[in-house]
Amino acid sequence: MMGLLVFKERLRAFYGRHSMWIQPLLKFALSLTVFLLLNTNLGYMTRLNHPLAVIALSLVCAFLPLGVLTFLSAAVMLLHLYGLSLELAVTSGILVLIVAILYGGFQPGNSYLMVLTPVLFFLRVPYVVPLVLGLSWGLSAIIPMTVGVFIYHLIVYANQNAGVLAGSNTVDIVQKYTQILNSLFTNSTMILMALAFALALLVVFLLRNLAIDYAWTIATGAGTVVLLAVIFIGNSGAGMNLSIVSLALEMLFSVILAFIYQFFAFAVDYSRTEYLQFEDDDYYYYVKAVPKIAVSAPDVKVQRINRREDS
Amino acid sequence: MLNEEKIRLMTGIAMFEKKEGKQIFPQNRFFKRDYISWHLFGAFFGYTVCCLLGVVLWALYHAESLLDELGTDLIFSLVRRFGLFYVAGLILYLLVAAWVGRRRYEYARGGMRVYLAKLKRLEKRYEYQNKAREIAKEDAQHDGASGI
Repeated sequence: MMGLLVFKERLRAFYGRHSMWIQPLLKFALSLTVFLLLNTNLGYMTRLNHPLAVIALSLVCAFLPLGVLTFLSAAVMLLHLYGLSLELAVTSGILVLIVAILYGGFQPGNSYLMVLTPVLFFLRVPYVVPLVLGLSWGLSAIIPMTVGVFIYHLIVYANQNAGVLAGSNTVDIVQKYTQILNSLFTNSTMILMALAFALALLVVFLLRNLAIDYAWTIATGAGTVVLLAVIFIGNSGAGMNLSIVSLALEMLFSVILAFIYQFFAFAVDYSRTEYLQFEDDDYYYYVKAVPKIAVSAPDVKVQRINRREDS
Repeated sequence: MLNEEKIRLMTGIAMFEKKEGKQIFPQNRFFKRDYISWHLFGAFFGYTVCCLLGVVLWALYHAESLLDELGTDLIFSLVRRFGLFYVAGLILYLLVAAWVGRRRYEYARGGMRVYLAKLKRLEKRYEYQNKAREIAKEDAQHDGASGI
């Protein structure tokens, strides 16, 4: 444990020294992942699949605020959808516009969660999203997270139905719109995931704010139980056939990631908790103070003392 | 000579401006009521545009049946239904927007108080430094006149 804490301190010190280039580098890596995933899973606009286009877009995102990544990834997604089917692009465009106006109008500053959620779905660790957002953000994260769940299922739908959507002769345009909207809004897996994520985030958020020992760990555990319960109930109730093995593995990796996040964001020593009581003119105060675990990274300098050679 | 405390104060102020500036300074150009009204105005337009987009989606979804059954009665009943939906949603959305606007304004006011307190502290530091300098100058003149 001590070794891990020292490693964390070293990492923190390293980040502090080199944040000037670590931040753009991380943004570049995230943007590259987003655009590559979009190209792999959609990729219907062939010009955007060129490596130079991907690198150029990622470079732009690396030096600008994260909101730009949200905007550019939405644009790239819509262009790919346009390459597949005009009807799907129009429908998705209207939905993206509604979200941008209604939610973006409040300038919440967490729109990148709409991009991060589908990315983590593709990386097979989607359940980390409600756990970490419940620990670090508030209830306001429910909206971008739910939109992210929708975007992931929209991409999966486009990918799986590319043949039907691209064929212009199979159904007429009016029927196509009906079909697309029907498929998007009556997708039971998407509704189940959105519900499970929202409930888990709510439970994690409520529990981590309690003044109890190990609140964050309890919150993460309870969030996992809620996720599993909702998914199992929904799975059996709606007759879906989710693979139990992949669900268990994804959940396991997600929980491990959530605990890693917890280790970096919230390391406290409950064994040294202090309870204080004092008063002023208006109130009595009952204070519980939990000390943070502070370890200073050892600064070891090895000095070699050699025996003087006789000349 | 470098004054460490002054540098620390100025760095603190600069950091505060960088972190909180965007959320504090624009709001403080308005009175509370004006800011919330401006916020509600934007929310009203945003909601109206979104409703129109929603109507377009709805029309696309039901395009087939609409083309078959479109008539004056249907148009009136649809307008009535959409009108009700629009007004109910608008009231709800404006309530949320007013709540968000009020909270943001109060946050900005609190932040501004902290910012002004920091500036006042810096100003006091400057006054103290100037006074100390003047006293040192007077002492030097006095010493020169008395020949000590």
